[in-house]
Amino acid sequence: MRLETNLIVSVWSNTEKELRANSQEPPTLLLDINKAFPLPYTLPMSTSPVISVQALRKSYADLEAVKGIDFEVSAGEVFGILGPNGAGKTTTVEILEGLRPRTGGNAMVLGFDPERQKQQLKDRIGVCLQATNLPAKIRTHEAIDLFGSFYSRSLTSEQLLKRLQLWDKRDSFYETLSGGQKQRLAIALGLVNDPQLLFLDEPTTGLDPQIRLEIHGLIEELKSEKRTVVLTTHYIEEAERLCDRVAIMDEGRIVAMGSPRELQQKSRGQSRIQIVCEQPLNAIQLPQWPEAMDSKLEPDGRSLTVYSNRPARTLFEIMRWLDQQGIQLEDVHLKRPTLEDVFVELTGKKLRD
Amino acid sequence: MKSYLALITTDLKLAARLRVVIFFNYLFPLMIFFIFGSVFGARKSVDSIIYVLTMSITLGILGNGFFGAGIRAVQEREMNILRRYKVTPISPAPLLVASMVTGWVIFMPYIILVFILAHTLYHMPWPAHFGQLLFFISLGLITFRSLGLVIASVANNMQEAGILVQLCYFPMLFLSGATVPSEVFPHFVRVISEFIPATYLVNGVREIMMKGQQLPVESIVALVIAAIVGLILSMKLFRWEKEEKIRTSAKLWILAVLLPFLVLGAWEIHKGQDKPPVSTFGR
Repeated sequence: MRLETNLIVSVWSNTEKELRANSQEPPTLLLDINKAFPLPYTLPMSTSPVISVQALRKSYADLEAVKGIDFEVSAGEVFGILGPNGAGKTTTVEILEGLRPRTGGNAMVLGFDPERQKQQLKDRIGVCLQATNLPAKIRTHEAIDLFGSFYSRSLTSEQLLKRLQLWDKRDSFYETLSGGQKQRLAIALGLVNDPQLLFLDEPTTGLDPQIRLEIHGLIEELKSEKRTVVLTTHYIEEAERLCDRVAIMDEGRIVAMGSPRELQQKSRGQSRIQIVCEQPLNAIQLPQWPEAMDSKLEPDGRSLTVYSNRPARTLFEIMRWLDQQGIQLEDVHLKRPTLEDVFVELTGKKLRD
Repeated sequence: MKSYLALITTDLKLAARLRVVIFFNYLFPLMIFFIFGSVFGARKSVDSIIYVLTMSITLGILGNGFFGAGIRAVQEREMNILRRYKVTPISPAPLLVASMVTGWVIFMPYIILVFILAHTLYHMPWPAHFGQLLFFISLGLITFRSLGLVIASVANNMQEAGILVQLCYFPMLFLSGATVPSEVFPHFVRVISEFIPATYLVNGVREIMMKGQQLPVESIVALVIAAIVGLILSMKLFRWEKEEKIRTSAKLWILAVLLPFLVLGAWEIHKGQDKPPVSTFGR
C-alpha cells in the first residue's frame, strides 16, 4: 500500500514536471502549492475543458429548472452565467458543485462526475454561495482555520486575511463585520483550499457600488492568477467587465453564448447616439440621417437621441448637419448595444424583471 | 480527524461566548438547585438533597439535549450556516460528533460543581460510586442529545421543532419523577411514567446515589440503544438546507429512538414492578 502510494505520487510529480516544462505561463498561486503540498492534485490541462456539460437537465416536482444545456469552460477562463432570477443559473452551478443531483445529461468538473465523486470534487473546488451565514460569535481567523480543516490541504488564515484585506479584522466576530467584509470573508473561505476552480454565485448581489467594485477587483486578481472562475450574476456591467465568455440563460435554457464583444456584435440592436446642443432644436425641421432608424428629441429641445445600425456614418452626418446649421455642440455620447440589449432582444424581457 | 478536532474546538469557543448556553447549562439548573433546596429543607435530610440534586441534573440534561442540541441544530439550518458547510468535503458525522462532545464538555463541570455544592452546603455524603454516577449521567446526556438531534432532523422549521421539543420535554419533566415525586402519581400515571425515557435517568441516578447499587443494567442498555439509534438516524436524515423538506411521516422516526424505553416500560410492567421506583422524597 505504501509502495503503491509512493508510486502514484512519483507518477504525478513527473506529470506535474512535464506540465510545468510545457507551460508558457506557469500558474501564479497564492502559495507555491507544489512545494507546500506534494500530493497529487489535478492541474487542468490547458487543452481539456475544466468543465464540460452536455444536455444537462434538472427537474423539481412540477418545474423544469434546467432544460438541456451544453457548454464548456476552459482553464484560466472567467465564465459568466447571466440571467434574471429563476433562469436556472444557481441550479446549474449547484449541480456542478456537487450540491444537487441532475435529472439528465452529463457533467464533468475537473475530471470528476459531480454527482458520483462529490467528495473528491468538493475537496478541489472553491465555492462562494448566495445567502450563507456563519455563527455570529465566530472570529474571522477562526472561521478560516475551521474551514481549512475540512480540506486535504489549506492556506493559513494569515495568508488569506492579509490577501483579502481583513487582517485588521482577524479577531472580529462575524456579526460585527460590514456587508462587504462578510463577502470578502466568504471569498476567503472559497479560497481556503487554494482551488484552481472557483464558483462565485452572485457575489455582489445586495452590496453597495463601492464594495461591488472592490469585489470586481478581487475577481480580476483571481483571473490574473490563472484560476478558472464560474460567475453567476444578473449585473450586466459585472459580466461585461469580468467575463471572458458569457452564457445568457433564460427559463432553463442558454439563449446565447460567447465573449461579451461577440454577443454585442451579433446583436441586431442599434447603437444610441446622444447629443446635447447649446440651443434648442424644436423650431428646426430635423432631417432623415443616413442609417438612422429612429430619433427622439427630449422635451428640453436640446437633447437628441438617434438610433442607428451604422453609428459612425450617422454620427458623421449629424456632425456635418450641426455644423451647417451653425449649432454649437455641448456633449456627445455613442452607446453600443449592451448585453442587456442583447438579452432583451433574445428573450423580450429585462434582466432584472 | 482534524475536522473533528477543529469543529469541537470551535463549538466550545462559540458555546463559551453565548450567554444563553451559560444560562441553560449553569445558571438555570443552579437556580433550581438552590430554590428547591431551600423549599424542601434539603439541609435536614439526605433524601431531600438527593431529590433536589437529581431534579437539577435532569433539568440540565433535558435542556442540554432538547434545546442545546435539537433547537440549535435547527437554528443553524434555518440561518444557512449548515448550507455553507455543505459545499465543503465534510459529512454530517463530524458536525454531530462535535455537537455531542461539546455538549458533554460544557455540562460536566456543572455536574462536578453541583455535587460539591450539595456536599459542602447541604451536607450530602459524597457518593460512594461517583465514577459510575458520572458514567451514567454522561450516557443520559448523550442519549438526550441524540433525541434532540433526531428531532432537529425530522422538523422542517423552528415551529415544528418547538412543538416536537415541547411534546417530549414536558412529559419528561413532569412524569419522570424528576420534578413531581412519583409517589404522588396515581396508578395510571405511574404506568405512563414507565414508558418515559427520563424516568430511567432519574431512577438510575437516585439508585446509584441512595442505595449504592451497581449500575442499572436494563436502563443502561435502553439508553445506549436509544443513543446509537438516535445518532444513526440523525446522520441518515441530516439536512443541510432549510429548503430540503422532509415528509411529515418522517416524524415517526422519533418513536424509533423511544422504542427501547417502550420495550423496557412494557417489561417493567410485565414484571409487576410498577411500584414507586425509589423512595425519593424526604419528608
